[in-house]
Amino acid sequence: MPESVELPQGALELLILKAISLGPLHGYGILLRIQQLSRDRLAILQGSFYPAIYRLETRGWISGEWGESENKRRARFYRLTAEGRRQLKTESERWDDMAWVVANILKAQPGEL
Amino acid sequence: MAHREDLGKQVQCEIEFHIECRAEDLIRSGVVEDEAWRRARAEAGRADTQSEKYREAIGLRLLDELWGDLRYGLRGLVRNSGFAAVAILSLTVGIGATTAMFSLIHAVLLHPFPYAGASRIMNPGIVNDENPGEERWFALWRPQFAVFGKAQCIESLLGFRNKSEVLAGKALPEDVLAVYLTENAGEFFGVRPALGRMIEPSDAAGGGQPVAVLNYRFWQRHFQGARDVIGKTLQLDQRLYTIVGVMPRRFAFDDTTGVGDVYLPASTMQETPAGPRFLIPWVKLRRGVTAAEASAQLNGLVHAFARQDPQVYPRRFHLALQPIVEPYQQNTGRALYLLLAGVVVLLLIGCANCSILFLARGAARRHEFVMRGALGASRGRIIRQLLVEALVISFTGAALGTAASWWLAALPMHLAKGSFPAESAIHINLPILAFSVSVALVCGILFGLAPALRLSRPVPGPAVQSIGRCLGGEGRHVRLNVLIGVQAALTLLLMATASMAIGDFIQITHTPLGYDPHDVLSAGIMTHFSNSAEWAAIRSRQGRAAYYERIRQKMAAVPGVLSVGISVDVYPPYGGSQQEVEILGQSSAREQDARILQVGRHYFSTLRIPLHSGRIWDERENQRGDGVAVVNEAFAERYASQRSPIGLQVRIPDLVSRAPLIPASSASSGWRTITGVVGNIPDDGLGRPVLPAVYVPYTTLMMPYAQYNIRTRGRPLGYLHALRAAVASVASGQQVSRGASTLDSILDSDPQWSRQRLYSVLFGCFSAMALLLALVGLFSVVSWGVAQRTAEFGIRMALGASKIHILWVASRNAMISAAAGVAAGLAANFLLGRFIARWMDNAAAGIASLSAILVLFAVCTAGACLMPAGHAASIEPSEALRCE
Repeated sequence: MPESVELPQGALELLILKAISLGPLHGYGILLRIQQLSRDRLAILQGSFYPAIYRLETRGWISGEWGESENKRRARFYRLTAEGRRQLKTESERWDDMAWVVANILKAQPGEL
Repeated sequence: MAHREDLGKQVQCEIEFHIECRAEDLIRSGVVEDEAWRRARAEAGRADTQSEKYREAIGLRLLDELWGDLRYGLRGLVRNSGFAAVAILSLTVGIGATTAMFSLIHAVLLHPFPYAGASRIMNPGIVNDENPGEERWFALWRPQFAVFGKAQCIESLLGFRNKSEVLAGKALPEDVLAVYLTENAGEFFGVRPALGRMIEPSDAAGGGQPVAVLNYRFWQRHFQGARDVIGKTLQLDQRLYTIVGVMPRRFAFDDTTGVGDVYLPASTMQETPAGPRFLIPWVKLRRGVTAAEASAQLNGLVHAFARQDPQVYPRRFHLALQPIVEPYQQNTGRALYLLLAGVVVLLLIGCANCSILFLARGAARRHEFVMRGALGASRGRIIRQLLVEALVISFTGAALGTAASWWLAALPMHLAKGSFPAESAIHINLPILAFSVSVALVCGILFGLAPALRLSRPVPGPAVQSIGRCLGGEGRHVRLNVLIGVQAALTLLLMATASMAIGDFIQITHTPLGYDPHDVLSAGIMTHFSNSAEWAAIRSRQGRAAYYERIRQKMAAVPGVLSVGISVDVYPPYGGSQQEVEILGQSSAREQDARILQVGRHYFSTLRIPLHSGRIWDERENQRGDGVAVVNEAFAERYASQRSPIGLQVRIPDLVSRAPLIPASSASSGWRTITGVVGNIPDDGLGRPVLPAVYVPYTTLMMPYAQYNIRTRGRPLGYLHALRAAVASVASGQQVSRGASTLDSILDSDPQWSRQRLYSVLFGCFSAMALLLALVGLFSVVSWGVAQRTAEFGIRMALGASKIHILWVASRNAMISAAAGVAAGLAANFLLGRFIARWMDNAAAGIASLSAILVLFAVCTAGACLMPAGHAASIEPSEALRCE
C-alpha cells in the first residue's frame, strides 16, 4: 500500500466541498467518499474532519439536516449551498493554479534559469 | 451560549452515528466485534472534546470562556464576600444618592408643574416702588382682562379667582374652596383629566354652564374616589353644578394661593354685594419672547389701567413677571444645589472606596496571577478574567443603586412636605441615572484593571516563590495612598458641611419661641355675602367688629375653651406686613419700618405673650381701633433705646384701606400712643431675627375675614365640632373655614422648619454614609495588607520587634494617608466653608463643631486601622513563618 499523504492547510475543506458536490452525504459518507476518491492514500483524522464540516456549515457553504441513513438510523446529511458551489469553483481553480505554479518550479532544471 | 445543550446533543448524536457506521464497516471487513467497537471509538476521540471543537469551530468558544470567567469570578466573590459586599455597597450608596438628588432637583426646580409650557407661565405681580416688600395681588376687571389678553407677547391668558363657598348636602354644611377659571383653562394647562373633561370654551355659553371639575384630593375625600361621579351634582352656595371631570393627582392648582377643591367656569361667578367680578391673571408667554420684552409691553397696559382706576394701584409701581416656579426656587434652590454637591462628593467617595478595594485585592492576588501565568494563561486571559470580575461588581452595584435611588428620591418629600410644590412628582431622571451608573462602571473597570495591567507582566520566576509574596513589603502603593487621602479629605468636608446644617437646625429648635403654641387652635372665619340682610349688618366697620366679637364670645363660652384671641393675617412664626413707621419727635434720617400686626386685645393673653411694661388697650379702644398701639421688645430696643417707649407717639402712614370691602377707622394712619411693650415672638419665620413689630387693634382695617386663636384644655381639635356649632349660632350661614389647625402643627409644617430638618437629616445621612464607606475602605486596606505580609511580621517579631511596633508598621501607610487627607480636607473647608455659609445665609461650622468632627473622624479612623493591625500583632512568629 502506498504511503499516506498529509493534507496542507485548507485542502480538507475543499475536498469536503467536492465530495458533497456529487450528491448529499452524511459525515461518515463524506469521509468514505474522500478516501475512496483518493484511493485510500489520504489519512484524515476525525479530530480535524468534523470541525472542518462545522466551520463550512457556519460559513454557509454547506447546509446540514437530519434524515434517515441507508441503515435506518438518524444521520445528518450535508448538501452544497449556492454559495458553497461558487466557493468550490473558485477554490478549485485557485488550487489548480497553485499546484501548476508549484509543480513548474519544482520541475525546473539547472540550465533553465 | 444559545442552545448549548441542544448543540452538544446534536454533535454527540452525529459522532455516535459515525462510530456505529465505522464499527459496522470494520466488522464487515472481518474484525472481531469488540475490537471493531474499540477501534471506532478510539478513532473518534471523546465526545465532549468533539463538542468543544465544534463550539470553537463556530466561534462560541469565547462565550464559553467568558461564562467560565463569570463563574470563576462569582465563586471568588462569594469566597471574599466581605470584599464584594463593601465594593457593591459603596457603589450602591453613591449611585443611589446621586441619582435621587439629581432627580429631586430636576423635579422641584426645573420641571415641577404638569402644565404645558410651564416654563413660559408667569405670575404677574404689582410691585409698589415706594415699598417693595409689600405683597400685592394683581387683579383685573373683566373688560381690562380682555384688553390684557390681546397683548402681543401673550400666547394664552388664564384668569382665576378663589372663592370660599358652602357645599350643602351633608349633615353640617361644609366650606370648600372654589376656583373659578376662565373657560380656556383646559387648553392653558394642557393636563389630561383623570376622568371626564376639563372646563372648556363651550362652558361659557349662555352666561356660563353650571359644570364643575373636581380636584383629585377633594374627589378622594368627598366621593371616596368613585368613578361614577361624572354626571352627579354638587350644591354650592345654593346653586347646582354638574360634575363633568376629575383632575389627576398631580394637578393642584394653585399651590400658592390655595389648592382648589372644585374648579368652576368663570362665567358662572356671581356678582356679589361685595363687589364686581375680577380675575387674577396668569400669562403664558409666546415662545421666544423674553421676560423683559413681555414685562415692558405689559407694563404699558397696566399703567393705562392705573390711570383709569388710580385708587387700586400704588402711586409708583411696576409690573413684575414671576415664573411660577420661582417661590420654590427661592425657598429650596440653593440648599438643593448644596445637597447635590454633597451627593456628588458621596459618589466620589463611593467610587474611591471601590477603587481602593480593587487595588488592595489586586495586590493581594499577585501570586494567583503569576501562578496562572506560569501555568500558561495568556496576559489577555488574565486581564479578561479581572475585567469580568470588575464588571460583575460594578453592574451589581449599579443595579442596586438604581433600585435604591427610587426609594431615596421619595424620602425628602415625606420628610418636608411643605417645601415642594404639591404638584411635583419625582421621577427618576434617566440621563442622570445613566451618568452615575457610567461613572461607577468606568471607575470599577479602570481600577479593576489597574492591578491586572501591572501584575500580569510576564515575570514568573522569582515571584512564584511563596516567600516573595509574604515578604512583599509596603511596595509602591502610591495610587492607593492618594485614594485614601482623597477619600478622607472629601469625607471631612462633607461632615463639616453637615455639621453646619445640623447646627442651624439645632439653633432653630433651641430658640425660645416667646409664646406658647401648645393646645391652641387657629381657626379662620370668612364672612359670606350670600344673604343680603346679613351682609348689610356686617358691611360697616362697627357692625363687623361687633359680629366678630359676638363670635369670639360664643367660642369662649364653649366648655373647655380657656381663652380666645382674634388676629388678622398673623400666623406665628410669620405675621403682618412690613411698613414704614414714623415716631413723633424722632427725625427719621434712616428708614424706620416695622411689622404691623392687627390683633384683638385677647391675643396676647391667649398666646401667653408676656407683657413687659405698660398695658394692652381696653375693650373700648379695641372697638375704636385708633390712637393706641403696643410694640415688641425688638421695637423698643431699636427705636427707643434711650428711654421707655411707653407714651411715645407712632404713625403708620400706609395703614389705609384701598378696597371697598375693607372699611378703615377714621384715623387709621393717624398718631397712636404706645401703651405697652410685649415680649418678642418670631414674626419673620423661625430661626430668623425678630423684627420690630407694632400691634394695632384689628378693627383699624376691618377685613372680611379673621383668625381666631383658641386655647383649650387638652387637645384642641376635639373641640372643633362644638366651636362650629357656636359659630353657626351667631349666623346660620357662617362656617369655620377649612384647614383649622393647631399652632403646634403650623410650626411642624413650617417650610423653614421642615426644610432645616430635611437638610439636617439628609446631610447627616450623607456624611454618615461617607464616614462608614471611608472606614470600611480603610479597614479593608489594612486587613489586606496584614494578610499579605504575615510572613514579614513573623520575621520582625522573631527578630524582637515589639507589638506596638508591629501595630505601627501594619497601619502606618493607611494612617499617614488618612491624616494627610484630613489636613487637605480642613484646608478645603477653610477655603470653601465661608463661601458656602455666605451663600446659604448660614453660620459656618464653628471651631467647636469642627474639632468634634476631627476627634470623631480620628477615633474612627484609628479604630478602622488598628483593628486589623491588632490582628497582625497577635501573629505567632512560628506560624507566620510557615505561611503558605
